[in-house]
Amino acid sequence: MFVLEGIWIALQQVWAHKLKSAFTLIGVIIGITFLIAVITVVEGMNRYVQEDFAGSLFGVNTFTVVRRSRISTGAETQERRREQARNPDLTLHDVQVVRSAVPDAWRLAYSSDRGFDEVSYKDRRRRNIRLIGASEGYEALQGWEVTRGRGLTPLDERRGLKVAVIGAEIEEKLFPGLDPIGKEIRIGSQRFEVVGVWDKQGGLFGNIRDASILLPFSVYRQTFARDPSDVDQISVKMRSLEEMEAAQLAVEGALRADRGLRPGDENSFWIETSSELLDTWDKIVRVLFAAIPGLVSISLVVGGIVIMNIMLLSVAGRVREIGIRKAVGARRRDILIQFLAESSTLSIVGASIGILLGIGIGKGVEAFTPMPASVPPWGIALALTLGVLVGVGSGLYPAYRAAKQDPIVALRSE
Amino acid sequence: MNGEQRMQTNANEVIIETHGLTKLYQMGSETIHALAGVDMQIRRNEYIAIMGPSGSGKSTLMNLIGCLDTPTDGEYILNGTPVQGLDDDELARIRNREIGFVFQTFNLLPRASALHNVELPLIYAGIPAKERQEKARNALATVDLADRTHHKPNELSGGQRQRVAIARALVNDPSILLADEPTGNLDSKTSEEIMKVFEELHASGQTIIMVTHEHDISERAQRVVTLRDGLIESHDAKADGLMAGV
Repeated sequence: MFVLEGIWIALQQVWAHKLKSAFTLIGVIIGITFLIAVITVVEGMNRYVQEDFAGSLFGVNTFTVVRRSRISTGAETQERRREQARNPDLTLHDVQVVRSAVPDAWRLAYSSDRGFDEVSYKDRRRRNIRLIGASEGYEALQGWEVTRGRGLTPLDERRGLKVAVIGAEIEEKLFPGLDPIGKEIRIGSQRFEVVGVWDKQGGLFGNIRDASILLPFSVYRQTFARDPSDVDQISVKMRSLEEMEAAQLAVEGALRADRGLRPGDENSFWIETSSELLDTWDKIVRVLFAAIPGLVSISLVVGGIVIMNIMLLSVAGRVREIGIRKAVGARRRDILIQFLAESSTLSIVGASIGILLGIGIGKGVEAFTPMPASVPPWGIALALTLGVLVGVGSGLYPAYRAAKQDPIVALRSE
Repeated sequence: MNGEQRMQTNANEVIIETHGLTKLYQMGSETIHALAGVDMQIRRNEYIAIMGPSGSGKSTLMNLIGCLDTPTDGEYILNGTPVQGLDDDELARIRNREIGFVFQTFNLLPRASALHNVELPLIYAGIPAKERQEKARNALATVDLADRTHHKPNELSGGQRQRVAIARALVNDPSILLADEPTGNLDSKTSEEIMKVFEELHASGQTIIMVTHEHDISERAQRVVTLRDGLIESHDAKADGLMAGV
């Protein structure tokens, strides 16, 4: 009952003195806003990186050999980067070395790719596409699912057939309402027969995958590659993380031996994994999350002190009310609960405003940048819990002072 | 014995009994005997006025009878329950169940409606909302304020405020109605109105104890207890002679 009463009194006070309440609650509002905004943005990015980005770029339990690192972790020195720039291009010979180093690979594929400006079917065209020359098994290794037609086969490669597997966006653009299988598309001056389409990824980075066209490696090399000997990447997929780690070591060893590197020499190639990317990301997230408690707790402590002062004023101004309540039968704990409910309500109102503002900032970031926002339920639960804790914490002393009022003195006050 | 007493509808049942009730205050090095050993009995449905000059101990006696305070020494038995030595929360329970206060300054919650003010004791008695509101409405009807349930105290006249306070005092069916200078802040016409309410309540069986310093008010009571220097100076019984033993 008096819990409801405390809540009701608090809400009435907030409403009656909006400006004063805004100042009272500003500490809590700032703290919770910041908390929710950071959680929202970081969680959104986190989810994106873990579920979409790393998975689609690298695949699970997969590592990729490339000439030089494509992800800047910010940890390498200038010199290191210059050194990597001297690494030789990967070739089909390297593919053989990798293949013999991991005979038990679940999947192994190599590819080169480049941006291309246009693909057309009759008078329909799609601009800004990616051409990928790939060995058989590439799309399976990437985790792309060919939903219609077929993927690339060894036969395509051996015979140099001019066939293409296309992404969902290209299908939508060139073949609205048509079956693309068997149709002839034009890329530059060349004609290719569409033999398959893979599933749509959608989302922020989905356009890389959805707007790609897969060609047999040999055909790509002859027709589109800038440097015919060049293999951009060699990817190996294993069945488990342990197998992957072992295979990664085997490949590293084989390539070093093949290139005649001495112990102590740096690798003249680079091995990327999704875990490498995730590690970098984890570091960023950890720094962000490590900064939250400090900043949030400072504003919440300040917010709590302000609420405590307001509650002390409130108790001092309502001594007679306390006396009346005690005279008609309120026990100490009834008064205590009433004032705790009041301070908690104040704080929760602040926290709720903070949650809304925080979500607003997250959505703003989502709207104006390519970063997605995601508000996890635990973030809101945490914010509300902190709100209650600040409310109870800051209300304890004022409520205790109220509860121990002597009713005789209290009734005579004013 | 208690149980039997409660079951009796006998008007002569003793509801308040004190033996050697003493209250000492320490003022610096001096000990003040606010009450120096008061023995009194009050029976159900008595209407008593406690009088005395200021400093006579009547406020202290009223605080003790009202269970707002505990005696330094002596016994106080209220409706069969020994009250001396109870802690704050137990006293709060007893105030809630046994005592209805009416104050000189009304002591209503200024921001709450008449109905909510009257509901207050029932809230602390843990009575569910629906029953609470019904009882509160009935109590307001008893003091002729059925049409003022949603008025705030500052929208009511002094007499109406005091009647809201009386309704609040009665709403939980207390054993005693304890009024402290109930007409002290009212003009004579309104005072008369409030005294009439008390007389009606007394006629319907309510036990009333009233602290006052006004003779014309105290004369309305059945019995006047006069205090002086912390002791009972006299029991002045009225017509029906319900004199309680010393």
